[in-house]
Amino acid sequence: MDRNKIGKWLKSPGKMAQKYSLHALYFCTGCGIIEIPPTITARWDAERFGVIPVATPRQANLFLITGYVSLKTLKYIIRSYEQMPEPKFTVGFGSCPINGGMYWDSYNTIKHLDKYIPIDGWIAGCMPRPEAVFVAVTHLWTLIDKGKADGYKKYREDYELYRENQESVLGKLEWPPLFSKEKQHEASV
Amino acid sequence: MRELELYYGPQHLGMVGNFSITLGVEGDRIVKATSNPGFLHRGFEKLMEQRTWIQNFPLVCRINVVEPDHMELMYAMAVEKLAGIEVPERAQYIRSIYLELARVGSHLFGLWAYANMLGFDTVANWAMYHRDLVLDLFEELTGGRAYHIYIWPGGVRRDFPEGFKDKIVNTLHTIGSCVPDYDDTFFNNRVFEKRAKGIGKLTQKEAVDMGAVGQVLRATGMKRDIRKQEPYAAYDQVEFNVPTREDGDAYSRIWVVRDEMIESVHMIFKLLDQMPEGVAYNKVPNPFKWKIPKNEAYVRCESSRGELGLYLVSNDTDKPYRAHYRTPSFNHGLTILEKALVNESVSDVGNIMISLYITAPEIDR
Amino acid sequence: MNHLRQILKDNLLSSFEDIKINIAEENRIIIECRKESIITVLSHLKSDGFNHLSLISCVDWINENTFELVYILTAYTEDPEKGGLNLLVKTKVVRDKPTLYTVINVFSNAEPFERELHELYGIHFSGHPRLTPLLLERSYEIPPFRKDFDTRQYVEDFFKQIPTIEEKKRTNERT
Repeated sequence: MDRNKIGKWLKSPGKMAQKYSLHALYFCTGCGIIEIPPTITARWDAERFGVIPVATPRQANLFLITGYVSLKTLKYIIRSYEQMPEPKFTVGFGSCPINGGMYWDSYNTIKHLDKYIPIDGWIAGCMPRPEAVFVAVTHLWTLIDKGKADGYKKYREDYELYRENQESVLGKLEWPPLFSKEKQHEASV
Repeated sequence: MRELELYYGPQHLGMVGNFSITLGVEGDRIVKATSNPGFLHRGFEKLMEQRTWIQNFPLVCRINVVEPDHMELMYAMAVEKLAGIEVPERAQYIRSIYLELARVGSHLFGLWAYANMLGFDTVANWAMYHRDLVLDLFEELTGGRAYHIYIWPGGVRRDFPEGFKDKIVNTLHTIGSCVPDYDDTFFNNRVFEKRAKGIGKLTQKEAVDMGAVGQVLRATGMKRDIRKQEPYAAYDQVEFNVPTREDGDAYSRIWVVRDEMIESVHMIFKLLDQMPEGVAYNKVPNPFKWKIPKNEAYVRCESSRGELGLYLVSNDTDKPYRAHYRTPSFNHGLTILEKALVNESVSDVGNIMISLYITAPEIDR
Repeated sequence: MNHLRQILKDNLLSSFEDIKINIAEENRIIIECRKESIITVLSHLKSDGFNHLSLISCVDWINENTFELVYILTAYTEDPEKGGLNLLVKTKVVRDKPTLYTVINVFSNAEPFERELHELYGIHFSGHPRLTPLLLERSYEIPPFRKDFDTRQYVEDFFKQIPTIEEKKRTNERT
């Protein structure tokens, strides 16, 4: 261990443990899935950064949305995101979640994913190289240190606004709201 | 026993690609299976009608994410037929070498997925490493690892750079010298035999009735390969075998994949020896003002999953009027999978799905 | 190959009236018939050895107010001469509330093709066991692959109207 890191570990052990063991949820959302197997196998090993794929959302910390999002997939992304325990971080991988990308005039893809779930960072490219995933992970570490990776806190505060946007695209949602005003008031009291 | 409904859904450790199956299960046996595609639908064919003939090339290669090269070939061949453009001979040889390298890379990806499903992590890591070596060759030739827009109507975009032939030969020797290791660890392993023999069995009559193509059909004993029946590129100038097996279960399909990979490597060496000199492309008209008169074309090729086809219609404008891709995973994923999963165990769903080589973006387009 | 195509053409012309055959290129034969005789023509070709239904496609000729359905057949054989032929069987249907009979009894792998065409063009196939949505999530007023459905206008009307979260917070603060 680096000697100049011992101070950081003593000050906030929770943050340091969170940073160096980001468990990514295994969900092959779109095109970008073609660059995830090279990232997690032997040539560009992601485990040396602490990133490994896990099976269920209940055990995951990091949600990599790889590629474009169609209407059917958005439902499952929202359900998986709401099942993940806090603190959780999302990263949009590829140009398509940023502004629609190649399929900007398609009737079935979501153009700006930021309107429906909170996103902490973006990786541009079509496809980005595996090294770009590592640059994103190290950038996420600095954001966690400074306390700016707070997408999940925004989701908790502005939940009604997010849910309005989700319902205007998908119709009436079948699951009840995750946060309600009375429970939030109880939690803060 | 009560019948339960299980969702082998899109977020699942046993699913490669964004696809979902609804299973009706009694204990451990599957009684009924329904596939739910549609998670990757972008309306490709509608988007192709709104872009000009040349603007469609970066769009077309994104239909099948694992092996984009045969999609580009289909579109280029169809446009050449509609407009009457000739391809020089050296370009046909370059196209064949490029497509066979893509086939080797795609089969290695399928081997990664299948070996991971059965638990052979070492073989999965080797397969993905060797696929990365092939992608390094593509990156030097075209500039991109995953999507290479290289085949153009009238030939290919640029000729081989200097010293590229030696690099291909070195890479293939590296991969080929590991074949005894693959055989010892995976293909001749008794655990693989016990887990895959007799699983997902199809007779030849059932395969013919349900529209099977590619190695699903060749594993039941029929020797059908579009490269021999309707030769395109330089395939009529080189000799090669078409491997088949008799049983029609998951074990035979994976053995057919292994034999095809070895045939492709031998074919690349023969093509490199026979390649003539010449130009690599013929010129096309000005892309801003290119109009094709009213005509239609249907072309087919043999991709790594089976018979791929494209029906293209033009109407005297600068955009296609209708394009429709016939992809091999359409029948495999929607008709054959529902039949092959009945009476199997729940732990074999991923096994059968990947041995049928279903790629989800090909179904939805 | 010439010999084979000529035999096929004479066979079809003698068995059916009201049918037009055009040998377009070396390996592509176009057969045009009416929509009522599709099932008999396809069964005749299947018993002749062309037992693989590759594709059912549809072209929207909006200026002539018709849909043109294309059934593409090839042969499952190891013989390269017969295996290289592609037969395109075409028929025309009216564009307003189109209906057809299903060909599942002849080729059982036609089921997902007809389901997709029903969803994307609005063509009804009578006798089909399962005409439920396959690829789409929501319903559209005009089926999306028809020529009068403008995707760019739809994206403008539907997706761009939804405001971002920051804009919503600003409007909430003002009121």
